[in-house]
Amino acid sequence: MNAAIALIISFPAVLLISLLFEGIDRKLHARMQKRIGPPVIQPFYDLIKLFNKGRVIPLTASVRVFEIMPMIAAAVSLLGASILLSGILFGLSMIGDLIVVMYLLAMSSIALMVGGSASGNPYSAIGFSRKMSMMIAYEVPMFIAVISVAFGSTPSLAIDRIIKFQANLGLPLAASRPSMSLAAAAFLLCMPAASSAIPFDIPEAKTEIIYGLLVEYCGPYLALAKIAKAASNFALTLLASIVFLYIPSLLWENAPLNSGISLSLCLTTALLIMFTTMTVPRTILARLKIGQALKFYWMVPLTLSLSSIILSAAGL
Amino acid sequence: MFRIVSRGRIKSPWIFHLNTGSCNGCDIEIVAAFTPRYDLERFGCLLVGSPRHADVLLVTGPVTRQMLPRLIRVYEQIPEPKVVVAVGTCASSGSPFLGSEMVEGPVDRIIPVDTYIVGCPPRPEAIASGIITAVMSKFR
Ligand code: SF4
Repeated sequence: MNAAIALIISFPAVLLISLLFEGIDRKLHARMQKRIGPPVIQPFYDLIKLFNKGRVIPLTASVRVFEIMPMIAAAVSLLGASILLSGILFGLSMIGDLIVVMYLLAMSSIALMVGGSASGNPYSAIGFSRKMSMMIAYEVPMFIAVISVAFGSTPSLAIDRIIKFQANLGLPLAASRPSMSLAAAAFLLCMPAASSAIPFDIPEAKTEIIYGLLVEYCGPYLALAKIAKAASNFALTLLASIVFLYIPSLLWENAPLNSGISLSLCLTTALLIMFTTMTVPRTILARLKIGQALKFYWMVPLTLSLSSIILSAAGL
Repeated sequence: MFRIVSRGRIKSPWIFHLNTGSCNGCDIEIVAAFTPRYDLERFGCLLVGSPRHADVLLVTGPVTRQMLPRLIRVYEQIPEPKVVVAVGTCASSGSPFLGSEMVEGPVDRIIPVDTYIVGCPPRPEAIASGIITAVMSKFR
């Protein structure tokens, strides 16, 4: 199948699934607080409403950048997620798409940062600097974990090679060797910061700097920013579930790549990962300060991922 | 198509809360309406921090002279379509403060109000029902 067609087919699927994931996340969050909570399709209502609201653009903003950046963010993170989805669905893959996905996800945050700081609002400026520090904190261990995986499986950056490797092994990568479990742990510890779930929601701290970068965005732009966030969260969970915890490999030797069962298993794993790394910390923890978050990320996940590289170089 | 849009609007009213010199009684009841017991979020409501994100403006207090320009400014910053709900007797009628030279209120002398929730302070159920009524009648 042609790669472009596969990507175009999986675009709406990604949008649908990532919004559903967000709805499930909000519902679980509410149930854990003994609330009834919004309906699961609440994000769809929000998006319909936001797309039909008027726009107010602040006088201090540089209008072009302010308008274009949310679109870039949404497009880029949807593209990242649909590369992963069509990787499972159609076995579609290209050289180095692991790096491409990581890059696209980082790019979506950067686009939102640029757009937010173009609004000229002081709260956005604070949000920008905090997001910058957070990205330095979590992107480094995350990238090192991914590189360690790329070295540790068949030395390859293509996702389908990594999937095939796990299928031949008959084990998810995280359970195969100590170095890989360390890399998986580092990656999963980076997820709450990458999705700005609550202990690490320092850049958008609602009660402190009123959503930081998003403070001036309204209506359609806010909707695009929300799509970008939902899609990149979904892409991260899906990436973790494919690369580290490919559960279908337990079921069959040489698991069939493009079957519906393996897709649904992957999505279930992704949902579980989202629950443990975003919903639970969001419900039970309180926000940290930026220094504490930076210290945590450079103490724990960075050490984990570096030792994983050293172990995998030693052949463990 | 239009029905989908209006359903989306009814189902996700995001709330911005502005205190124009209230005694804090109404504000605490608004917060109470978001607690697990009353759980306004089950109607899709969210308490947002920026007027740019909001659909519903909850005003408490009899607009004092200091707050007058700010009330107008916040009202204008909310993108269309928007709903204004006056919470508490102060905001609805100015009650004991009416006629004071420090008070410019009640709110409907300054901006158009869609729903009045009376009570000093109104109970959280009343606030919830007021918000839902306002949204249902305006966005239908
Ligand atoms: S209505 Fe009563 S509780 Fe509310 S602001 Fe006025 S005095 Fe306070």
